Amino acid sequence: MNTTHTYIALISLALCSGTVLGQGQPPGEATVSRAEHQALKKDFEALWAEMKAVREAQADAERALLQDASGPTWPELERIRLTQDMIEQILLETKYGESNFHVTGFAFTRFTNQEGEDSSFTAVVAPIILWELSDRLLFEAELEFGLETEDGEGKTEVELEYAHASYILNDYVTLGAGKFLTPFGIFGERLHPSWINKLPDAPMAFGHHGGLVPMSSLGAYVRGGFPIADAKANYAFYLSNGPSLNIEGHGVGTLNFENFDDINNNKAFGGRIGFLPIPEVELGYSFQFSNVTPSGFDQQADALLQSIDISYVTESDLLGGLIDVRFELVFSDVDDVAFAAEEEGHAEEGGHMEEEEEEGLEELLTFNNERSGGYFQLAYRPTKSDLEFLRKMEFVGRYGWLDLPSGAPEAFDQNRWTLGVNYWLDPSTVFKLAYEHTEIDGGDDFDAIKAMFSIGF
Amino acid sequence: MTMRLNIRNSMQSLFLIGISSLALHGCKTEQQIADREPDTTSIAQVGEGVSPITTGGAKLWAENCIRCHNIRNPASLSDRQWEIVLHHMRVRANLTADEHQSILEFLKAAN
Repeated sequence: MNTTHTYIALISLALCSGTVLGQGQPPGEATVSRAEHQALKKDFEALWAEMKAVREAQADAERALLQDASGPTWPELERIRLTQDMIEQILLETKYGESNFHVTGFAFTRFTNQEGEDSSFTAVVAPIILWELSDRLLFEAELEFGLETEDGEGKTEVELEYAHASYILNDYVTLGAGKFLTPFGIFGERLHPSWINKLPDAPMAFGHHGGLVPMSSLGAYVRGGFPIADAKANYAFYLSNGPSLNIEGHGVGTLNFENFDDINNNKAFGGRIGFLPIPEVELGYSFQFSNVTPSGFDQQADALLQSIDISYVTESDLLGGLIDVRFELVFSDVDDVAFAAEEEGHAEEGGHMEEEEEEGLEELLTFNNERSGGYFQLAYRPTKSDLEFLRKMEFVGRYGWLDLPSGAPEAFDQNRWTLGVNYWLDPSTVFKLAYEHTEIDGGDDFDAIKAMFSIGF
Repeated sequence: MTMRLNIRNSMQSLFLIGISSLALHGCKTEQQIADREPDTTSIAQVGEGVSPITTGGAKLWAENCIRCHNIRNPASLSDRQWEIVLHHMRVRANLTADEHQSILEFLKAAN
């Protein structure tokens, strides 16, 4: 722009100079020769042409500048469109309650060869649905599809392991309701999935069948965790339908945790308190108190379940690997009541069967209904070995026991030693091989070989 | 008889776990115990291709996950999938909000 002005000024100056010079001479006197006039005219035309070229170049530059500022190029427009599509897709996917779910879970196949029984394979798949309904409201459910043979006919067994909603009230409190894994001890809630459990089966006191504790409960809970200086604590309390007392059959005196319709208006109250003095160690105490009197039973019975658990998981430089130590101890104390004895009479040594003298009254069976069980488990994985093969190996030992009341029908104390070797294909895919030796007080001992291939997905 | 067995079994197990814990904890260096600094153990490397633990979120991730199960590679799930999984694990593992946020930030950064 400055150049243009300069040229215009020069031309104007030249013209003005010519005019002024012309006015200063007397009329009729030639002051400029033709040659000079032609030369000036030529200069003027040259300057004019140069100024025109400069103005056009300047206009082109301004047009280019304006185009850069307001009009992106075609590739840039295409890139912007793709980005917009991507953002719209992300917004669609993150719309709460529509697509915010994730399917995870586990599956396994197990081979069991137990002394005195036919060897057999079994298979289970357990998909878990995680659904994030909002940033505070969550839903989670696990379905378990298994196989069983009943009356000689193979069936697919479907079980709703748990299905519950949780609401995160604040940083330290979460409320929930539904069917949930019972926060009693640590095996049932944390360690039972086949890719987490380090052996092919559950400890005797924690199984679905014959176990002393509830694996899942139907009710409501409150739970959370909070720091205490450098340590940490966690808690979980629940109110549930609770178990019922088995008053008939071979399992008389045991607790049935699978009753989904409550048997009375008294709910079971339980929970677990955990304390972590250092991150590697967790100590826990669990309890559950409930009235277990079934409807129509004329005696009152309460049950108190208690448990302590200890976990120690660390990676040892000296031992060159990951150490995993677990200990759980469970006590079950059910009020003594008199059960109707079966006709054959199952009172064992130490039990007491009252034979009523009066005709027409049935025989009664009573015993001290206290049970206990637990396990100690040690696992070692040489994660720091130079050999890849060894890093994928894991060696596991478990000692479990079950002490049952003397006098209860078909109740025998049991002890079980299990030694296992695992090979991890990846962090959640494992092949397990285990040898078990079970001792039964007053019965025949037996051995078993169990193998399992499990995938967590 | 039963109670005697209970006591015997319990004492045996407690003795074993006590000895094991003391012995294994003694395997840590004094510096580790004194400082409790974020260490660089290879716990996180149980999952293939995972970087050593060096940050707060990574340390919390390793400590809380390994308490129950092996640690998966952060790349095994997308950021969005980790958000959902970790939201549920916050409830299951009784994590605090701070722990939840730190672990999530680490997983997203490592993914």
